[in-house]
Amino acid sequence: MNQEHFEPRLIGFLCNWCSYTGADLAGTARMVYAPNIRIIRVMCTGRVDPQFVLKAFREGADGVLISGCHPGDCHYQEGNYKAMRRHKLLSKVLEQFGIEKERFRLEWVSASEGTKFQQVCNEFTEQIRGLGPLNLNGNKGEHHEQRQA
Amino acid sequence: MAEKETQKTYRMHLMICAGTGCVSNHSYEVKEALEKELRKHGLENEVVVVPTGCNGFCERGPILVVQPGNIFYQQLSVKDVPHLVEEHFLKGRPVAKLMYSPPETKQPVPVLNDIPFFNKQVLIALRNRGLIDPEKIEESIAHDGYKAMVKALSEMKPEKIIAEITLSGLRGRGGAGFPTGLKWQLVRNAMSTNGGQKYIVCNGDEGDPGAFMDRSILEADPHSVIEGMVIGAKAIGATAGFIYVRNEYPLAVERLSIALKQARDYGLLGQDILGTGFDFDIQIKRGAGAFVCGEETALIASIEGRLGEPRPRPPYPAQSGLWGKPTCINNVETWANVPTIINRGAKWYAGIGTKTSKGTKVFSLVGKINNTGLVEVPMGITLREIIYDIGGGIPGGKAFKAVQTGGPSGGCIPKEKIDLPIDYESLSEAGSMMGSGGMVIMDEDTCMVDVARYFLTFTQDESCGKCTPCREGTKAMLEILTKITEGKGTPEDLTLLEDLAPAIKDTALCGLGKTAPNPVLTTLRYFRNEYETHIQNKKCPAHVCRPLNVYTIDPGLCLSQGHGCDVCRRNCSSEAIAGQKNEAHAIFQDKCIKCGVCYDVCAFGAVKVD
Amino acid sequence: MVNLTIDGKQVEVDEGSTILQAAKKAGARVPTLCFHPVIEPYAACRVCVVEVAFRGKNDLLTSCNTKAEEGMDVRTASERALRARRLNVEMLLARAPAAEPLREIAKELGIEKTRFPVKDPDEKCILCGLCVRACEQIVGACAISFIERGTDRHVSTPFGEESEACIGCTACAHFCPTGAITVEDKYGRKVIHDEMYLGPTTAIRVPTRQAVPMVPFIDKEACIHFKTGECKVCAKVCDRDAVNHEMEDTIQEIEAGSIIIASGFKTFDARRIPAYGYGRFPNIITAMEFERLVNASGPTGGKVLLANGEEPKAVGIIHCVGSRDENYHAYCSRVCCMYSLKFAHLLGEKTKATIYDFYIDMRCFGKGYEEFYHRLLKEGTKFVRGRVSEITTLALTEKEEGKLIIRVEDTLLGAVRRIAVDMAILAVGMEPSIDHNRLAKTFNISCSQDTFFLERHPKLAPVSSFSDGIFLAGTCQGPKDIPDTVAQAGAAAAEALALADLGKVELEPITAVIDDKLCSGCQICVGLCPFTAITYKKDEGHSEINDALCKGCGTCVAACPSGASYQKHFRDEQIFAEIEGIFLI
Repeated sequence: MNQEHFEPRLIGFLCNWCSYTGADLAGTARMVYAPNIRIIRVMCTGRVDPQFVLKAFREGADGVLISGCHPGDCHYQEGNYKAMRRHKLLSKVLEQFGIEKERFRLEWVSASEGTKFQQVCNEFTEQIRGLGPLNLNGNKGEHHEQRQA
Repeated sequence: MAEKETQKTYRMHLMICAGTGCVSNHSYEVKEALEKELRKHGLENEVVVVPTGCNGFCERGPILVVQPGNIFYQQLSVKDVPHLVEEHFLKGRPVAKLMYSPPETKQPVPVLNDIPFFNKQVLIALRNRGLIDPEKIEESIAHDGYKAMVKALSEMKPEKIIAEITLSGLRGRGGAGFPTGLKWQLVRNAMSTNGGQKYIVCNGDEGDPGAFMDRSILEADPHSVIEGMVIGAKAIGATAGFIYVRNEYPLAVERLSIALKQARDYGLLGQDILGTGFDFDIQIKRGAGAFVCGEETALIASIEGRLGEPRPRPPYPAQSGLWGKPTCINNVETWANVPTIINRGAKWYAGIGTKTSKGTKVFSLVGKINNTGLVEVPMGITLREIIYDIGGGIPGGKAFKAVQTGGPSGGCIPKEKIDLPIDYESLSEAGSMMGSGGMVIMDEDTCMVDVARYFLTFTQDESCGKCTPCREGTKAMLEILTKITEGKGTPEDLTLLEDLAPAIKDTALCGLGKTAPNPVLTTLRYFRNEYETHIQNKKCPAHVCRPLNVYTIDPGLCLSQGHGCDVCRRNCSSEAIAGQKNEAHAIFQDKCIKCGVCYDVCAFGAVKVD
Repeated sequence: MVNLTIDGKQVEVDEGSTILQAAKKAGARVPTLCFHPVIEPYAACRVCVVEVAFRGKNDLLTSCNTKAEEGMDVRTASERALRARRLNVEMLLARAPAAEPLREIAKELGIEKTRFPVKDPDEKCILCGLCVRACEQIVGACAISFIERGTDRHVSTPFGEESEACIGCTACAHFCPTGAITVEDKYGRKVIHDEMYLGPTTAIRVPTRQAVPMVPFIDKEACIHFKTGECKVCAKVCDRDAVNHEMEDTIQEIEAGSIIIASGFKTFDARRIPAYGYGRFPNIITAMEFERLVNASGPTGGKVLLANGEEPKAVGIIHCVGSRDENYHAYCSRVCCMYSLKFAHLLGEKTKATIYDFYIDMRCFGKGYEEFYHRLLKEGTKFVRGRVSEITTLALTEKEEGKLIIRVEDTLLGAVRRIAVDMAILAVGMEPSIDHNRLAKTFNISCSQDTFFLERHPKLAPVSSFSDGIFLAGTCQGPKDIPDTVAQAGAAAAEALALADLGKVELEPITAVIDDKLCSGCQICVGLCPFTAITYKKDEGHSEINDALCKGCGTCVAACPSGASYQKHFRDEQIFAEIEGIFLI
């Protein structure tokens, strides 16, 4: 476990309409951002079941990002509000489990905000890098490090 | 309280005139002095002083009539009071030196009815003048006030009232002489839109210079007008009335307000009058001083709160008047006649006057006449009777020249027509009009061009300016007349004047404009030679138009009579007179500005005017 | 009907008609001054007098207000009527010698000169009262009236001060027959530029030139009737009774299979750049105003004129006003270069002015555009490369006095220049239209960073929005010129038609499904569904999802406590597998 070479593994649940398109825009615009995030597309942030987040942490994620449309802009009218409520509750639960709440993040990124997506990814990566590995499943981080090496 | 006071009996009533004329001659001071003096002699429970409305003989104010006996005192002053009280009221010896003496006989006339000024008058509209205190409704009621109203409200159907008025032959006293009965019938028949409201209006916007009969009636007997209006309201089916009175008549407004309040208190106005189920109330509207508001459509506009300017007729107010409702507008004097007609019957009324003009008419006599004042005379009386018998002739033994009737809208009637019987038709035939009853007497010292110019100054100033002929025409005529009186007139001016006057008469919008050329037209008709003398000879025969005069000093007279008194030279503002004491004076014509001061100040008649 | 004789001719007119109307019908000309057909007659000028023999009387009556009656014998030009009419006109002529309609009538009546003294040779007011009556009867404002009387009579506001009752409708000036009333221009802009203003000019107008349908409407904001309840002059003069003031706005609901949004753009408000002096200095106009000015049916009939009515000697056209500027809009509005070049060409055609064209880059990308640019280079337009920093009236030299000075860094010369011109035209860029944001909310359309609507895919779906059946066309999607707009609109129409042609809607395959065996019937999902696609089947004890209503957001799936609900292609297992998959690598 070498702190300096720690590369966090992040999972992002992105809504199809805003954030996924925003991420797409960042890609097509050839913006460079931290490669630590792995994206799972859902139709709406409202689809993000708390189980997914827990599963992600259990499988070895150091941080989870949920990103959807700005409030009021949801393609499904109010899915993002539901995600917001679940995020609040789940953060509390995660704290009880000893998982810092900073590791679970909710962001609004619209389809046109490629730059914002880039910024969010970079920021989140650096933040988790600062927090260090979660170590719920220790090997995975090391494995990753080895792979890096 | 008021009732008790009225019922109290006195040995003697002193009716002191409290009309505007006498009040300005200090009649209230005389009244106070009288009361003080009576108290001094302990007579306050025996003799009472009663302020009354205008007596009519304004020339001789302040006037006191002692009842019983009808003893007439005139030109009283505060210092006459102690003597009068002691002699007459205490000792019972009338004071001859305070009585009226006709100029011809110089013999004092003690009794009012023997005075020529009064004995030819027939009082209908002015029936209560000098008899009642206008501020006490009880006194009015005691003199048959509201009797006709009771009769009309309780015994007569509207049709009957109108029939009675129609039969009486009463015509509008405001000037045009429209048959009153017919007007009422028209208003009664007019369909009123939304709500059936109709209005009664009393026109008290008396604006003619020298006319004051409406004021006198409102001041002397406001109840007669109110009573007339209630009867009219019943006849036409109106529930609201307005009295439009000039704000320049504060006393009339005050007495009217008191009268209206008293009538309301007695249930003679307002809801369910005398229990007959008839509602009617009257409001006072005060005019703001525009002569044109005497014209009925302008008056209506003024009451409505709009710009006081006339509008074209038809529709006549009888169809669409106040706020678009049928409105009956009559003059103060007309309304005051109504109760007497109802009381004494149409036949009696129709028996007075001429074939077309019935009843009496109030005239105000002013100008060059001995007995200035207000007279009520039967229609058909001749000018001679009014001027010489009632009016007492021309002062200073001067010759009568003309009489101007009908105010600025009327015309001048020359001395040749002095035997003209007065009624609506004869006056308009003579080129003048009845108007509201102003009568300005002119003597030989009057310049007729100047008279026309004077009246045009008035109409030009009072024209509302709405229609072209009145606004521009009166001004154009005035400018021409001014030119003529200044000696700058040309024969073309006379032609233009003769062009203008009939065209203005023909095309002006309202009565004001239509009659404004009358003074010019009549003076041109009867005194054309005076105009021509002004224009061709540059002379004013009456020496009134000063710019045309030439002043000279008779050196003989100046020296022999005045011993060269030098007064003229000292008073001359342009230093046009040469001479010194004990020398004959002379005028430098090139320096003379023709102000006429030398002529006025010369006590010896040495200054001659030509 | 009423029968009467006019100048010996029998006429029949409607009950209630005036003599004037009857005379018109009989072909007799009666001059009028204070009369206007939509205002109550006033009968003040007394010029329309005619001689009427009726019921045994022979009178001069004003024809404008006197009703025609059965059996009247009217002579419009009898000697008596003519004499009175002439005299009245002559007297009026002395009052208002400069009043044109009065002079015409005077000429007609053979009056060469008035015999009365003229007070003011420039006076125009004939005191006809049309202004006062229009203000009262038409407008209902009663802001002006006659004051004083007799010859002093004149029209004034209360106490001669600015009237609070005045609503600035200018009806008084409109009805004034002699031009005695002029409207004071309070905004420092001269008349022609006032007319160039593209906002409401009259209350009744066709919305835009070339509007479809080409039908005028009443602007409630500007209409006097809706302010005061009076007027209705339009209804009075409309022969077809087409004007209806009682009409209310109606909201119509139209069911449509697809929607094409083509809400267009608005131009950049040049006042936002204070340094360019728009609205502060005269003769600085925007591109739209210039279009109005050169329009043959515009206020000057197509002449390019300055506020003082002179032709400009030098004109500057400033590109990229509001565009390509980080302070305002970073994007290029795409059309300004080309229309600026067109302006330069038109100016060269219509004036002898020197034309300066201030550009940053010349973007002539379309077909034949570059060639047009070259043509202008040959025509002698002076192109200055550089962004204008300010337009000022502060003259440093005598030559600059009274001119607009354009300060610019000429990047080709590498020097700051001051160029004095008479007129500056601001080539304002494009912005989304005023109700753009409201539309975006209504239709759930995303916006790109430049705030224009975002298309589904810049290359593969350039006319579609993210919502099915909603398409974009024209400048609501981004600045573009007319050919591009037409092309995009055509594409959008084709897409919409394709949907209609199909006759059926293809459902997304990602809808949610409830497994009735697992569903406990708790109904949590029912309340969560934003599309009311879930109904609880009471009899069967479980909920069911309507495939046609479900949009596949998956909210219900995430909330289902018993795991009965699943979303096709986004099943829990699939997502778990994805998560696991991520960590396999």
